[in-house]
Parts: sequence; structure tokens; C-alpha cells
Amino acid sequence: MVAESLDDVSVGTTVRVRDVTGADPVSLRLLEMGLTPGVAIRLVGKSPFGDPLELEVRGYRLSIRRQEAARVAIGDR
Amino acid sequence: MTPSPLTVVLLGNPNVGKSTLFTALAGIPTRVGNYPGVTVEEKLGRFSHRGQQINLIDLPGTYSLLPQSPDERVVVDVLHGRMADVPRPDCILVVADATNLERNLYLATQALGIGLPVVVALTLSDIADRKGIRINVDELSRRLGCPVVRVASPTGEGIAAVRDHVLDAAGGPAPRQLVIEDTAASRGDGRPPAAAEAIARYDAIERLLAGVIRTEPTRGGIAEERIDAILTHRLWGTLFFVAVMLSMFASIFWLATPLMDLISGVMDSVSSFVAGLLPEGAVRSLLVDGVLAGVAGSVVFVPQIALLFLFVAILEGCGYLARAAYLMDRLLVATGLSGKSFIPLLSSFACAIPGIMAARTIENRRDRLLTILVAPLMSCSARLPVYLLLCGAFVPERSTALPWLPLRAVVLAGLYALGIVVAAVVALSLSRTIFRGPPQPFVMELPSWRWPRPAVVLERAREAAWSFLQNAGTLIVAISVVIWALMTYPHDERAIDADVAALRLSLEARVAAGGDSDADRAELIGQIESLDTAEGLDAARRGAAQRGSFLGRAGRFVEPVVRPLGWDWRIGCAAIASFPAREVVLGTLGVIYNLGDLDPGDAGATTALERRLKAARWDGTNRPVFTLPVALSIMVFFALCAQCASTLVVIGRETASWVWPIVTFVYMTVLAWLGAFAIYRIGLALGW
Repeated sequence: MVAESLDDVSVGTTVRVRDVTGADPVSLRLLEMGLTPGVAIRLVGKSPFGDPLELEVRGYRLSIRRQEAARVAIGDR
Repeated sequence: MTPSPLTVVLLGNPNVGKSTLFTALAGIPTRVGNYPGVTVEEKLGRFSHRGQQINLIDLPGTYSLLPQSPDERVVVDVLHGRMADVPRPDCILVVADATNLERNLYLATQALGIGLPVVVALTLSDIADRKGIRINVDELSRRLGCPVVRVASPTGEGIAAVRDHVLDAAGGPAPRQLVIEDTAASRGDGRPPAAAEAIARYDAIERLLAGVIRTEPTRGGIAEERIDAILTHRLWGTLFFVAVMLSMFASIFWLATPLMDLISGVMDSVSSFVAGLLPEGAVRSLLVDGVLAGVAGSVVFVPQIALLFLFVAILEGCGYLARAAYLMDRLLVATGLSGKSFIPLLSSFACAIPGIMAARTIENRRDRLLTILVAPLMSCSARLPVYLLLCGAFVPERSTALPWLPLRAVVLAGLYALGIVVAAVVALSLSRTIFRGPPQPFVMELPSWRWPRPAVVLERAREAAWSFLQNAGTLIVAISVVIWALMTYPHDERAIDADVAALRLSLEARVAAGGDSDADRAELIGQIESLDTAEGLDAARRGAAQRGSFLGRAGRFVEPVVRPLGWDWRIGCAAIASFPAREVVLGTLGVIYNLGDLDPGDAGATTALERRLKAARWDGTNRPVFTLPVALSIMVFFALCAQCASTLVVIGRETASWVWPIVTFVYMTVLAWLGAFAIYRIGLALGW
């Protein structure tokens, strides 16, 4: 199965953001942190307990939980 | 005529070297406080350039000018000149991390839209060089329409240029705004305007940076990846974290002890010098037993506090604090908190007050309130003196099964662990009951590894020590004097005589009644005989004076409550008297036991207070008050209790409610009593 959102990408893969779903402050903060449609994201690693995730986006490292990662739809639009 | 001072604000994302730039430009802040009406930190500095005075305001770190937290709201208000008592800035100095330019330009381009002159400082430029990030500064400046300066703190590169540009730009015209093209794609299907703007802004930044920035892979960058892989590794990363925390505690013992010995030696000499100058009486007693005892009791702990802050500042400067939050998030989520609670809770190990205030960075109200309620359970620096004194005096000086690990360090670490475990249980219970709700979002930058700047680290340690002396220290001296007075007055000679006579009668009655073992009988007779010697009578009269004093009456009133904890009424007094601030318990114990006998023969005791405590006996017996179980009982009580009026006041202010401080005080006091009772009973049962 092809991964649909950022929370089920395997470590080391680079994917492209298709969209960030939701219209609340959390989604806005994800966009403001640079997770905008079309941007490349690499899943650098996961915390010892599998959550949160460490991402590389726009040349920096960002940590978000799987729950937020689920809002990030991936794949080409 | 001197021109009126200019106001320049430092605006930037968190962790971009804003504090370092502040220190480079203005040195030590002239004022650190709160903005009026809100509890967001205000840091002001001042410098002079080409004859012009410039007031520098360090704004809280922010990611966006569409505010989501109280800190971010303050930033926007200051920029628009809407903050009371803060003049509208003449220039915005945007601090942008050169290693992370794209994301940092998000805030920078928002700043261009404020309508004020802007200067951009590219901090961490030396690290960007090392990582192979090449930025065409002139072209970037041309495209942004404002001055852009490379800054590298180790060499001081760019500081003079920043001063020049700020002075030239201040009060001048604002740069043009960056054109944000709202496209069909950015608007999407019914996307909110703010979201569409964020997307369009990043599109504009990407176009702006095209041809301005390029990255060549370097060995430095690869090395960082490797360090990162180890430090965030599931096993190695966690082990490293535990090792860092453990070595922090061990160092506080090893590095601070010689300094503490020096300070207490000096204070002892000062006390005996002052005592030698004055005649016996109330004034000498006030100065030596009240004032100087309080001064000694606070100054002696400065080394540990400074060391602890040194560690925290180094971890922060390395970028390890955020990594720790990332590592710890899952655990904190398990207790109903979040990784973002890690920094407020970690700060609470220094002092709950800044910790509780740092909880403002948690956007979610529920997470924030939970963090505030459990933050006082973290063992703060005010408890550290209590732990250190009692550990040093009553925990045997030997190592555990591991030769390099002293037993005292294990007990100390155990007390810290106790606070953490209890906090976890409390947070979990609260999050499952009154704070029920879905888990909260977590979006956190992981800053790149870097060397901490010594100037910034030292400033944090200096500031911590200074504020401890200023706030806690002066309070300790004041309370020490008040407690001395409460312990000394009322002084009724006739009541004392009656009390001593009653003591003799009760001892004689017990001997006459028989039924005691030979050893006990001999002990009782010895006590009666001692009342006939000048020294013995004096000690008994002093004990009687204590019992008759205001605090003695209060202590005896609560004695039934504290007796199950192994405490005598004097410890009860000290616990009551420590309500204004925990560390006061030491001053109180010092005054209370100073009035008893000293035990000068014990070379193991390093401070006068230790000697006093070791010499303390239960009234009318030769049984020491302070045994290991009693010392543990006191330490556990102070680990969990809410004997800190300032913390409760801050909780009230931060939650805008008096309910939460009351809740905090009640739950912590109950837990403290239960914990102290449990450890005392366990200690007795195991024959410690």
C-alpha cells in the first residue's frame, strides 16, 4: 500500500507534501513551519517510543507527533 | 544637545542566537522583568553608537506574526506600538539563522510588512559556512530591500556593521513589502486566508532565494548527521540522556563542595569576630543568630545554583534541550503532558517560578495548566540546600556497589526522581479526571548542534545566582530575623524557672517510680545531676525559653501532626516558618538549634548548622533528634510540599484564579505528609 499521509512513511524516505488538512491553528502552524504543498520532506527518524517524528524540511529539523503528521497528505497533486 | 534615544527591537524565531546577539550588542541587560499587565518576559539593554543612545528590546522568540501564544501576542503588540510603556520601535532588527534561512525568512518577510525600518542579522553564519551553506548577502539585501548583515558570534563578525545599519535605518523609511502572490493553488478549496497566505509567502520566499543560496556538502554536515544519529538513537540516545542527567548531579556535589566549605569557613569567622566585638545580649544574639546565620545560610548555596544553571544553559546552548523534549515527548504524553512541558518542568528544577512562567510557551491551556500544577513538584534549587545539608550530615559518606557513585548522590538523585514520579502520577490522574480531553498538538523545531557561547552561559549562571541572592537571599535573612524574634520572645524569666523546676520534678518522679532499666535510670539521674551544673542548667533554661516563645507554642501546637513523621516540635516550627520560602527552613533550624549545645568534636561536620543539628537531642533525653530516617522524612516532606509562598502567588497570577494555588497547596501538603510518614516508617523498619 502506498503511504497516504506523513505518519505512515518509513524512516529515511523523502516525500512531497500534497496538502495539509484541517483549518485550525495546528494546521496553520504546520504551514507556517514550512510544510506547504509541494515541499520535500525527509523522515529522519522516530523518537525511542516511535513518536514523535523527526523531519527534515526546508533545510532544518522539525519534530511533530504522528497525530499531526496524519494531517499532512503526501504524494503528487 | 543629546538626541533622544532610539528604540530597536530584536525579533526572531526561538533558538536563533537572539540572546547571543543581544549580549554582543548591549552586554548585560539593564532590566529583566515582565511587560506591564502580562507575564511575558521583558529584557532591555542599552548601548551607544556614534553618540546616539539606543535602547534594545529583546522580544520573546516567535515563529509568526499571526500570534498563537501570549508571548507571540506581546511581540505583535510591541511591534505596533500597542504595548503600554513601550515606545513604538524605530527599527526592527530581525535575527535570522543563516543555517535555516528559508524558514527564518518567513518571520523576516512578515516583519517587512509592519511598516518600520528593518535590518536583518544573519546569525550563526560561521556554522552555515561549516555546513557549506553559501549565501549571497548583497543579492539577498537587494531582493529584500533592507540591509542584511552576516554575524558570527565567536569572531564578533558583523556586530559593528549591525550597529551602523541599525543607526542609519532607524527612523527612516520602511522597506517595501515582499509581494505575496495569492494564487489559485495557495487558496485551494476553501482554505482559510491565513493558510493561503502562509503557502503564498513560502512560494515568494522560494523565488526570492533562488540563486541567492546554495549548499555544498561538507564534512561538518556529515559529522553532524552522525552525532545526531547517535544522540537521537532509541537506545544510545536514551542512555546518553540518563548519563548527562546523572553526571549533572554528581558534579554539583564534587565541584561545589570546596567552594561551599570556603564560604562557610569565612562566614563562621565573621560570626565569631562579630560575636567577639559585642557584649552578650539581645543585639549580639540578633546579629549573630538572626542576621549572620541567615546570610550564611543563603550565600553558601550560590555555588550549586550557579553550577546547575551553568549545566542548563550549556544544554540549551548545545541545542540539546529540544532534543531532550523530542526524546521525552512520548513519556510525557503518557502522563498527560507533552514534550513542550519538558522545558518548563526542567526549568522548575532551578526554580518553579520561571518554570511556571515558561509554561506560557505551551499554546494549549489544558497542557499549560497541568504543567503549572505539577511544576512545583520538581526539586527546585531552594530544596537543594535542604537536601545537601541533610544528605551531607546524615547520609553515611560511602560509595554504593559502584565505587565511583557515592551513596549521597544516589539519595539526592532519588529525591529528584521522587518529585518526577509523583508529578507523573498527579499529572496522569488530573488528565484522566478534571482535565479530560484529546491529546494536544506538538510542533517543535530541533535546532542544529552548536557550541554554546560562554558569555551567554556565564550570564545565565550569574543571573541565577544573583536573583537567588536578591530574591531568596534577602527573604532568607529577613525570615531568619523574624524567626529569631519569634524564637526569642516573649522571654518570661519566671515561666522559664517554673518550666525547669517542672522538668526536674518529672525526672525525679520517674526515678522514684522505678520500672526503668539500669541504663535508663542512670541516664535519668545523670540528667537530674546536670541541672545542678551551670552548663546543664543553662541548656535547660534555653530549652524552656524556646518552648515558651511564640514559635515554640506554634510548634508544640502542631507536634501531634508531625510526631508520626519522626519530627520533634522544633522541626515542626521550622516547617511552619518555611512557608514563605522552603530554603528558610535552614535558617530556622539554624536559629532553633543554635540555642542548644554545639558539638565541636565532630570533625566530619562541615558547617556550623550541621554541627548544631547533630548535637540536637529530644527534650529531656540523650536521644539524637536527627537520625537517618528523620533526615529522610524531612527531605521527602520538603521534596513534595508547597512551602513556597512565591510559587503559589505566581500560580495564582498565571492561572488568573485563586483556586489553583489552593489546590496546589492542599494536594502537595497532603502528599508531603504521606511521603514523609512512609519513608520514616520504612527507615525505622529497615533499621537505617
